[in-house]
Amino acid sequence: MLRLIGRRLVLMIPTLILVSILIFALAEVFVPGSVGRSILGPYATEEQVQLLNERLGADRPIVVRYASWAGGFVTGDWGESALLKVPVRPLVMDAFWHSLLLAGFALVLIVPTSIALGVFAGLRRDSLLDRAITVSSLSMTVIPEFVSGVVLLYVFAVWLKWLPSFALPPDGAPFYERLYYLILPAIPLMFLELGYIARMARVGTVQVLSMPYIRTAVLKGVPRSRVVFGHVLRNALVPTVTVIGSQVGWLIGGLVVVEKLFTYPGIGRLMVEAALAHDIPLLEASVLLVAVVYMVANLIADIVVALLNPRIRMGG
Amino acid sequence: MASAKFEREYGQHLVEQVLKGKMTRRQLLVRASVFGLSLTAAGQLLAACGGDDSGTTASPSASGAPEPVIGGSIKWIGPAPITDPDPVTIYDQGGIVLVYQFLEYLIDLNNDNSLRGKLAESWTPNDSVDVWTFKLRSGVTFNDGSPFGAEDVVTSMERVLDPDNGSGALSQLNGVLSPGGTKAVDDLTVEFSLDKPFADFPYMVSSGNYNTAILPRTYKGDIIKNPVGTGPFLLDQYTPKQRATFKKNPTYWGKDEQGRQLPYLDSTEYIMVEDNSAQNLQLQSGAVDLQPQTVFQGAQALFQDPNLRVDIYPGTGIREVAFNTTVEPWNGANGKQLRQAVAYCLDRVAINKALYDGRSNLGYDTFWDPAVFAGSPPVPEERAQDYEKAKALLSEAGMADGMKIKLTFAKYLENPQLAQLIQEQCKPAGITVELDQLSYDAYYAGDDADYYGTTPWINAAMTITEWGSRPAPGIYAAAMLLPDAVWSSSHWDNTTFVDAFNHYEATVDEASRMELATTLSQTQQDDTPIMVPFYITQLRTQKKNVYGVQGPGSFYCDLSAAFMTA
Repeated sequence: MLRLIGRRLVLMIPTLILVSILIFALAEVFVPGSVGRSILGPYATEEQVQLLNERLGADRPIVVRYASWAGGFVTGDWGESALLKVPVRPLVMDAFWHSLLLAGFALVLIVPTSIALGVFAGLRRDSLLDRAITVSSLSMTVIPEFVSGVVLLYVFAVWLKWLPSFALPPDGAPFYERLYYLILPAIPLMFLELGYIARMARVGTVQVLSMPYIRTAVLKGVPRSRVVFGHVLRNALVPTVTVIGSQVGWLIGGLVVVEKLFTYPGIGRLMVEAALAHDIPLLEASVLLVAVVYMVANLIADIVVALLNPRIRMGG
Repeated sequence: MASAKFEREYGQHLVEQVLKGKMTRRQLLVRASVFGLSLTAAGQLLAACGGDDSGTTASPSASGAPEPVIGGSIKWIGPAPITDPDPVTIYDQGGIVLVYQFLEYLIDLNNDNSLRGKLAESWTPNDSVDVWTFKLRSGVTFNDGSPFGAEDVVTSMERVLDPDNGSGALSQLNGVLSPGGTKAVDDLTVEFSLDKPFADFPYMVSSGNYNTAILPRTYKGDIIKNPVGTGPFLLDQYTPKQRATFKKNPTYWGKDEQGRQLPYLDSTEYIMVEDNSAQNLQLQSGAVDLQPQTVFQGAQALFQDPNLRVDIYPGTGIREVAFNTTVEPWNGANGKQLRQAVAYCLDRVAINKALYDGRSNLGYDTFWDPAVFAGSPPVPEERAQDYEKAKALLSEAGMADGMKIKLTFAKYLENPQLAQLIQEQCKPAGITVELDQLSYDAYYAGDDADYYGTTPWINAAMTITEWGSRPAPGIYAAAMLLPDAVWSSSHWDNTTFVDAFNHYEATVDEASRMELATTLSQTQQDDTPIMVPFYITQLRTQKKNVYGVQGPGSFYCDLSAAFMTA
C-alpha cells in the first residue's frame, strides 16, 4: 500500500513540471498583445503601457521568467498580483479554502444521497422505483447549474426570502452559519452530480449482484443486510469512488458559474477574473494549485479504491 | 466665494445674458458655478433676473426625503477594483467609488454638471483665462490629524502631471497644465498657470477628472495600507475582490444645511460583485441597500420591484459612431455628403426606445446640446430619419445606386444591438452595412510600438466606441475632435472648428462663448465626423428607505449625506 502511494507521489513530480510549463506557456507565451496594454486598457498612453510592462518584469527573457516563477512557487513565494499589488499566496489560499468548504459541504450532501439512491435502484433493478430514481436523477443532471441556480435564487432568496442570496456570510460568522449560507449554492451542484454518481453506484450494484459469489452467499442463507453491506456495497463502490475522485477537482476549481451567481469568493471565480484581467501571477498560481488538487483528489480516490479492493492493493 | 470684484462683474454679465434672452436660468447656474460663484451669489443673480427659481435642479433622492436619521449602516454593491486602487492611476468604477469614500477633490460635480466647491472654496481666472486662483477651505484636516493646505494640492497635481506616474488625468490636462504650473501662493491659496487659456479648467480639477483627488503631500502610493484623506469615511477593512468596510470619520469638516455633522451613517459596507445580474438579484433579495450604478440591460425587474427606487439622472456618456475621415469612402470631396447620408438614415427615437426604453436623451451629432450641457446654443437641426434626403445626398456624392460600408465594434454592452439597428435603418436608403464584430480585446488591441497607429478603434473606417461621462462639451471635443487628440477615431481636421474652439476656451464672455459654441455646433453637425445618436441616462437603485445618496454619473457615490429610515 505504501509502495503504491510512494510510486504515485513520485509520478506526480514530472506531471506537475509538465503542467506548470503548459500553464506558463498558455498564460505568458500564447496570449496575444502586451500584458501592460491588456491591463491598462485602450485609453492608456504608450508610455504608461511600457512603464507597467517594466514594473511587471514582462520584458525579461521567457526562460528567466519561468525559472523565477516555478522556483518561487515551490518555495512558497508566489509573487505579487500584477493588478492588486498584494501577495498572491494569501489571495489564492483564501479563495481555495472557500472553495474547499463549498466542495466539502456539497460532497457531504451528494455522496451519501447518490450512493444510497444508486444502490437502492440497483437492488430493485427494473422496478418502478428504479426507473423513477434513474429518470429523475438523470433529469436533474441535464439542468445546467446557471438555470437551477437562478431558479433557486429567485424562489428561496428573492421570493420566499428563506435563504440568503449571498454565499459569503458576514466576517466572523460561526461555522454553522457559514454552512447555512452555503445551502443554496450547494443544491445546483447536488443536482448536477446526483444522477452521475447514482448511475455509477447503480451499475456497480447490478454488476456485483450478478457475480457468482453473491449468488453463493444468498444461497448459503447469508442475511440480506450482510450481503448488501458486506459484499455488494464494498465492490459496487469501486467505480463510484473513482468517479467521485475525478469530480472533486471540478467541485473545487470549476465552479465558476455557481461562484459568480452566488457571489462566492472561490478559486474558480478568481481564476476567471485573473484571466480576464491578464493578472498572470494570480492566474498561474491558482491554476497550478487546482492542478495539484486534481492530482491529490485522484490519488486519494486510488487509495480508497485500493482499500476497498485487495487485488489492486496487492498488485500495487 | 470668488473675489468680490470678479463676482460682481461676471455676475452682472450673466444677469445681462439672461435678461437679453441669450441664456436660460439653468445655464446661468452652471456657468456661475464654473467660475466659482457661490450658491448665495447665484441665487441673488437669479433674483436679479426676476421670475421663479424653476431653473434650479434638485437631487431626485433629496426631493421628498424625510428628516435624516443619524447613525446606522448600509450595504452597497458594485464591481471590485480591477487594480490596486491607487488614486493616481485608477480608471475603473470599483476603484473610484472605493477611494471616493475617504478622498475628496477641489471641486465636485453636481447632477446637472454644475460645480460645487469641496476642498476649494472659490476659484477665479485672470482676464486672459490662463491663470486660475483657487482659495482653499480652511480648518480641514486629513484623517491622520495633519492639516490640509496648498502644498497638498501642489504635490497632488504634480504627481498626476508626472508622465512617469502614468496617471489618466493627463488625458485631460495634457496641453492645458504642465508640471511646475501649480504654485502655493500661501497656505490656503493655489495658483494654476495654464499652457493656454482654458475657460473649462475647473472641470479638470473636479471629480470629473477622477485622478485629481487631493492626497496628503507625504503620499507614497500605498492608499490601502495608509488610507489618508479628508473624506467623510475611514477605510476600515479591505478584502480584495470581496468587500470593503468604512467607518464614519469623526473629524470630518462637512456639515449639512442645518449645521448637523456629516456623515449621518456610522458605517457602510461595499460588497464587490462583477456581474450585473448577480448584483440585481442581491438588490431584489434585500441583501444590499444600494447599487450606485445600474445598467439598463436587465434593470426592468428593478423598476418593477415595489421595495426599490430607481433614480434616473441625465447622463453625458455616449456611444460614438465615428467615420474615419482619412479613409474611403469617408474622405475626399464627397465624404461629407456620405457621412450626412448615414446620419439621416438613423431613427434616433427608435434607437433610444430599443436600447434604453426611451429613457435616454436624443443626440443630434453635436456636443453643444442644451438638453445635455447647460450653456449650449440650440441644436442647429434636430436630425430625424429622412430617407429622401439621404438618397439625395448619396446621389450628390455619385452613389445613387447606394454603397457598401463596414462598421467595426466590440461585442460589449449594447454595441451589437446598436450596430444592428444602424444596419437595418440604412438599408432602405440603399446603404448596405457589413457588421464587423470583434471581441473587446481585439477591438482595443494594437501593436505596442505604435498602438494608436494600429488599433481598430482608432483606425477602422467606421467604428462604435463607448465613452463614459464628460462634464462639458469642450472636454469631449478636446479629447476626440481636435487634430492632436490621441483618441480621435474620426481623424477629423477642420480649421473652422479648431479656430473657434481655441477662441471658445479662451474667453469668459458668455455672449462670445455662445456665438463660438454656435459655430462649433454647426460645424460639428454639418461635417458629421461622428454620430452621437443619444446621451445615456444614468440609473441608481436603492431600497425605498435609503435617501441622500449623491454623486452624478456612474463613477461616484457620495454617501456623506446618505441615511436609511426604519
